[in-house]
Amino acid sequence: MSIPLQTTHSASSGPSTGPTMKDYSSSNRSTWCDGCGNYGIWTAIKGALVELGISPWQVLLCYDVGCHGNMSDKLQGYRFHGLHGRVLPFAAGAKIANPKLPVIAFGGDGASFSEGIGHLVHAVRSHYPITFVLHNNGNYGLTCGQASSLTPQNQPMNTAPNGVAEATLNSMDFIFSLGPTFVARGFSGDIKQMKSILKAALSHRGFAFVDILQACPTYNHFATHTMVMERYYKVEDEGHDPNDFKKARALAIDTGERIATGILYRNENIPNFIERLVPRQNVKTTPVEEVKVQDVSKLMEEFI
Amino acid sequence: MVRISLKIVGASGQGIDSIGEVVAKALKRAGYCVFGYREYPSLIKGGHASYQIDFSDEEIRSSETKVNIVIALNHHGLEHNVTDLKNGGILIHSTENWKFPKEIQKVIDDRSLKIVEFPVEKILRDLHAKPILGNILLTSFVWAVLGQKIANLKEMVRERFAKKKDLLDLNMQCIETGVEHHKKHNALSVTPPKPKKKWQNHLLLTGSKAMGLGVIHAGCRVYAGYPMTPSSPLLSYIASVQNETGMVIKQAEDEITAAQIMSGAMLMGTRALTATSGGGFDLMSETVSLNGILENPTVFVLAQRPGPATGLPTWTAQADLLLAIHTAHGEFTRCVLAVSDATDCFTLMNEAFNIAEEYQISVIVLTDKQIAEALYTESPFELKKTKIKRGLVTDPEKLKKLTAADRYDPKTKNGVSLRWLPGTEAATYAAQGDEHSADGTVEESAENTKLQIDKRMRKSEALKRELPEPELFRMENGNCKVENNKDYAPDILLIGWGSTKSVILDVLRDSQLITQNLKLAYLHFTYLWPLKTERFSTLCSKAKKTILIEGNTQGQLGMLLKQETGMPIHCKILKYDGRPFFSDELQNEIENLLPEQSREESRSDH
Repeated sequence: MSIPLQTTHSASSGPSTGPTMKDYSSSNRSTWCDGCGNYGIWTAIKGALVELGISPWQVLLCYDVGCHGNMSDKLQGYRFHGLHGRVLPFAAGAKIANPKLPVIAFGGDGASFSEGIGHLVHAVRSHYPITFVLHNNGNYGLTCGQASSLTPQNQPMNTAPNGVAEATLNSMDFIFSLGPTFVARGFSGDIKQMKSILKAALSHRGFAFVDILQACPTYNHFATHTMVMERYYKVEDEGHDPNDFKKARALAIDTGERIATGILYRNENIPNFIERLVPRQNVKTTPVEEVKVQDVSKLMEEFI
Repeated sequence: MVRISLKIVGASGQGIDSIGEVVAKALKRAGYCVFGYREYPSLIKGGHASYQIDFSDEEIRSSETKVNIVIALNHHGLEHNVTDLKNGGILIHSTENWKFPKEIQKVIDDRSLKIVEFPVEKILRDLHAKPILGNILLTSFVWAVLGQKIANLKEMVRERFAKKKDLLDLNMQCIETGVEHHKKHNALSVTPPKPKKKWQNHLLLTGSKAMGLGVIHAGCRVYAGYPMTPSSPLLSYIASVQNETGMVIKQAEDEITAAQIMSGAMLMGTRALTATSGGGFDLMSETVSLNGILENPTVFVLAQRPGPATGLPTWTAQADLLLAIHTAHGEFTRCVLAVSDATDCFTLMNEAFNIAEEYQISVIVLTDKQIAEALYTESPFELKKTKIKRGLVTDPEKLKKLTAADRYDPKTKNGVSLRWLPGTEAATYAAQGDEHSADGTVEESAENTKLQIDKRMRKSEALKRELPEPELFRMENGNCKVENNKDYAPDILLIGWGSTKSVILDVLRDSQLITQNLKLAYLHFTYLWPLKTERFSTLCSKAKKTILIEGNTQGQLGMLLKQETGMPIHCKILKYDGRPFFSDELQNEIENLLPEQSREESRSDH
């Protein structure tokens, strides 16, 4: 049985005959709050895929559980909506099975830096060729505004009326400590920039970490849309070289006065997980296409 | 049946397994049916371990509690294993100037045991050989005791050291010396029955390796796992042949990850597998539930060992049947099946994938430490009849006509809706972990919730109809055969599942239990959930006595059978000390439950 999988998607050619934004639209109504950053990210995702010429049937979009996960039925594309904190290994498994299909994983800061932080560490380390979009709104929105590990210490939150007791995790310092090959930061209020970041992330060789600072007008009163808008700047405007790991890390960590956005770090020289697998060298087919009865008579000889 | 058994004992890491494997394989090639059984503690070096080989010219698939020969690699064997010997048994050791304590000396005298000191260290010194060669020295000595052809052993060793010329020469020298030494103990011999040619071309392999072959054969292309005994040998084997198979092997950061990678790979459309044991499976439980609502075909291998918690990591149990059936929150269809030996390990893996894909459900394959690590002699596996059933829409014309709402259409008769893969040009859907409508849209209405739950549960009925009934085994003319006649009614019905099948059939084959007046048969359950009970009910209502044999404290299969049929089982033989059933032990237990009269007959046959 042959499976008619898509075999090429042109990452560089224009969208002239390709998909349109309409192809990605869903008749389901959005359920996010007024002013939620998810609207912007949602638009940027669809826009990036359209501009890359990727049709809905040519992509797998994997959602974690949280407010962002409610995007899973608000657009077209093959989609998966899984368990809290676990989106990365599922997306990695999917990608391993069919490396020809672009796979994007989405997760919030709540799941990704608490329940799923182990998965995040090993996803960066394993260097799976997938894109991870962090919907970073600094709290657990869907469960009504509890602190995430990225919420500032002392900030009063649901379940922490006296302020968060635990120290804040410096997410970017942490990510850079893992030896990433692609780190970018966007802002949910800047769709055009997000699109260009996502397009670069989707054409990255390995694991692309895309941090999106996302407004949460209902529960996040400490890093609001207005505040981020006033402070964010684009590193490419200031001549940042994305090959400079040290500088990228310093820019990413320092969010005191101004917030650096854009492609902070990018290294295309490191082979990804699939490229590093010895048995898969020069294999043209995907594991999806290889499902057939395999002759094991040679292997059986060892046991006679 | 004439059974000869030997047991190699010593510290873990002393080379027990290598001696065991060489002897087992050489015996199989000489024309014997061989069964190998390992016992070892959960550590790498030190600790008392053993490798037991039982062999015969007839079919044999279990161990006995008492053996003909003990080979003690260190003095612990002299302390602990003398009592393992049968009357007239032989103890071979290499501990100089050993004095047995009084109570052991009494056992030696009572049982007329022969104690032979084989001075391994001295011989090695004379040969200027490294201590590791002591193993081959002992092996050749034992080989001579068994009266086997030296050429056979040499051939084995030549294969093993084909690429290490220096070592090969020394090994050959050791074989000569060992055999030479035996001549000084000429009276020392155990005479096995005449070998039979038919065993020579059989496979000799562990359940784990057979399962690995089965998994590869079934077209599985991705394996994700996290090391945990007794599932690890499967991961190790599949990983060791990856360059031949081209499979993707991923050692994940934990069991949750392994389960998620496997699930993602299956959703994308390949065949993928994960395997684990008790605690690891507990961690996978959430993912089993996820696959339930996604209707994502998935296969989990659960290799049982005694719990709770870390329990006895390197020992065996059949105590996770209810776990497999009840694991994971929510109500949905799953299939649980259990392998019983190496052939099952091979054939049932494709079956598990077929069921998973055709019904879009999780299949949990139960194995245990006994099956995973015991050596079985099996006919070469049948390769030509294997059929892969994927239950996928792949025809481009049909794909074009699909709508997203076909994916989880709740109106299909058997609950199975159309499945097509990401990356195929068709309407797209959401594989949705929230309750959803037909296209994967989140939908919480009362009406939809009931429709979708009913859809997923309906598969249970359909699957139950299709699954085979349990198999009934009975003896006829000295052979064990599957009885398909529905009217056949045994007096005594033995009931079991999993690894105990092998030892139960060995007991049945031992014709001492079969008398003219007593019909004895064994009902074996391979498919444990959904549970088919018609055959059981019929047999149960006719049998004078029913005996449940399981490796757990509660009689878990018995509980399920009673739950499903209301019919209780009369007697239970349950073992839960980490050890498998031994054939002589089980035979005694069964005999004790037989009616008085036949017990007398059976005894007088001995």
